[in-house]
Amino acid sequence: MASKQEDDFDLGKPERLFNLTCTLLYATEGLTKKAILQTVRGYDNEYKEGGNNSTLERKFERDKESLRDVGIRIETEIPAHEDENNQASVYKIKPESFSWPEDVKLTPKQLALLNLAAQAWAGGSLSTEASRGITKLRALGVVGQSSDIIGISPKIHTFEPSFKDLEFAIAESQVVNFDYRNPESGEITTRILQPWILRQIEGQWLVLGFDEFRNEPRNFMLRRIVSPVSQAKEGRDLRTFEAPAKEIVESGIASLTEHAMGQVALLNITPNTEAWFRYELDLVGSRKDNLHRLNYFDVYVLAEQLREYADQIEVLEPKKLADLVADGFRKVAELHV
Amino acid sequence: MSNEQKLDDTDRFNLMLALTGLLVDGEEYTVEELVSHFKVPEKEIVKAVKMISYTDLMKSNQDGSYQVNYDDLKDGFVSIKYTFSKAVDEVPRLSSRQASALAAGLVYLRSLPGLVENSEIEELQRILAVENEPGNRNTVLIENGKRDSDLVLIREAMSSGVSITCDYLNLRGETTINRLLEPLRIDSHGEVIYLRARCPTNQAVRSFRLDRMRNAKPTNTVISQQALSAELVEEIYTANETDTVVTLEVDPEAYSLIFDFKPVEEPESVTKTIKRFKISVGDVRNLGRVIARFGGSARVVSPEIARQSVRDFALNALGERSSTTPKDAE
Repeated sequence: MASKQEDDFDLGKPERLFNLTCTLLYATEGLTKKAILQTVRGYDNEYKEGGNNSTLERKFERDKESLRDVGIRIETEIPAHEDENNQASVYKIKPESFSWPEDVKLTPKQLALLNLAAQAWAGGSLSTEASRGITKLRALGVVGQSSDIIGISPKIHTFEPSFKDLEFAIAESQVVNFDYRNPESGEITTRILQPWILRQIEGQWLVLGFDEFRNEPRNFMLRRIVSPVSQAKEGRDLRTFEAPAKEIVESGIASLTEHAMGQVALLNITPNTEAWFRYELDLVGSRKDNLHRLNYFDVYVLAEQLREYADQIEVLEPKKLADLVADGFRKVAELHV
Repeated sequence: MSNEQKLDDTDRFNLMLALTGLLVDGEEYTVEELVSHFKVPEKEIVKAVKMISYTDLMKSNQDGSYQVNYDDLKDGFVSIKYTFSKAVDEVPRLSSRQASALAAGLVYLRSLPGLVENSEIEELQRILAVENEPGNRNTVLIENGKRDSDLVLIREAMSSGVSITCDYLNLRGETTINRLLEPLRIDSHGEVIYLRARCPTNQAVRSFRLDRMRNAKPTNTVISQQALSAELVEEIYTANETDTVVTLEVDPEAYSLIFDFKPVEEPESVTKTIKRFKISVGDVRNLGRVIARFGGSARVVSPEIARQSVRDFALNALGERSSTTPKDAE
């Protein structure tokens, strides 16, 4: 076997992370921070014996974050015989938290489906996460495509700049702040939210979470967020929250669905127009003449959709919806004088 | 279009883990096979394999190394062996965010009727949930599409390689009955699903919105060679030389327009929230409804003819005449 050769790349971050992972995964007793910095390739050459190593320690902290990003958690523990001595804390990676469960296999069709699921994010907010996930799954060695899913090009739309930060905050249980525009008054208020889940409903992205200002679970539409999403702080530390039980999140999700079921618009739609084609399959209840009922979850979103078919749909109820449609047109006319 | 990703440091590390899981003490692969398997450029595979072989744990707790045969690597063959007593040789778990992103992608696939069996998706979601570390949960939820459509029939026709007929309402509001189409690909863009199909009458590939289509039926006519060899460009809208360049300004509530139209240049920020960008439009008369629907969150800055078309659309909708309409107009 040929020996290792000098090559044209430096010892970079990927290699350092790999060395760190390998070391911590099989250091049965764990390693102290000092031992890591002294011995792991990528740190050892910068370590100053007896000197100030704070820069190197920060590098280690950042590397821990990078490992977390790809799903590797470094755990800290103080060995029993060291009592409360922080200096003696050791770092390790539990093999069971690292490895893909051996009994879980994927078929070629399943891998192809997951691949398609990842492709749906292409260029979207979670494309990096999805493609890194797929790279790992390819390590299972499954090859082959399924002819069943050829000819499909799916794309999830996330155009809201806040999506990625909110998703991250949900995963990390971090409290966030953002400015939110009320669709009715146009007033902008700063909201403090413990975000629980991002949800798409009728093509709109919402974040459901606990609104600390209103002291209750609330939904926020991402397109009405008019500032960057920032992490809330307590002194210098990021504020985190305890993730709610699954049932609490599910009940928050269900309550918006119920709310939508309770809201009904009465519309007069001209048959065989574009509006007819668009709404025919969404309509509920019995039809009389051209009068139709439609459930909606947000009156402002519905008003916006209906404006597109102004000459084909007349709004009969509720009055607020009819007013919103007309007010919107008046505003557009004024803005384009 | 190339399927290959551009990698950053974390991606490279992720690739090293995956390659180790696949290769260590296992089969020999060619570099070419790995390029096609991982969908990354050749130089990334070679670099990652070399990096793995540079792993040195001598100073810490282990004695051993990953060994790569460099001569073989030059010839395009890869295999990795290790001499550690214990070494990373397992396929790595997904992070909760990776699992969540894939799970959300699956839910989206399920929302497209007729594409996959629910049971298949549920099985995969179960696998991803096992994968997910305890205590972590999905961050994204996509509602199932409730709109039924002809998608199932179209998919069946595509699998059998035959044309379909359907009724279709075009952009001018005219319905064609029994239109013959050669279905090639389903493109879903968020809520809107398009069928990319070749129209034998026009002899061109076009995009057809599924919500404007009714009564799709498979025929006995096999899809033509011209259709099968047609190039499917990614853009739904192809710009023409006769297009008008229109400048738009949008609030966050109307940022979707930046994605719906492909701006001709990078959008610029007018204020912290308002963005301005230029688009290429075939017929400015169609802009009225697109802009007016936003009720003021989207505005046409120029040219005047496009502003007027938006104003006219809004005034017509209100049942009022545009101020530019002559009083004696009939």
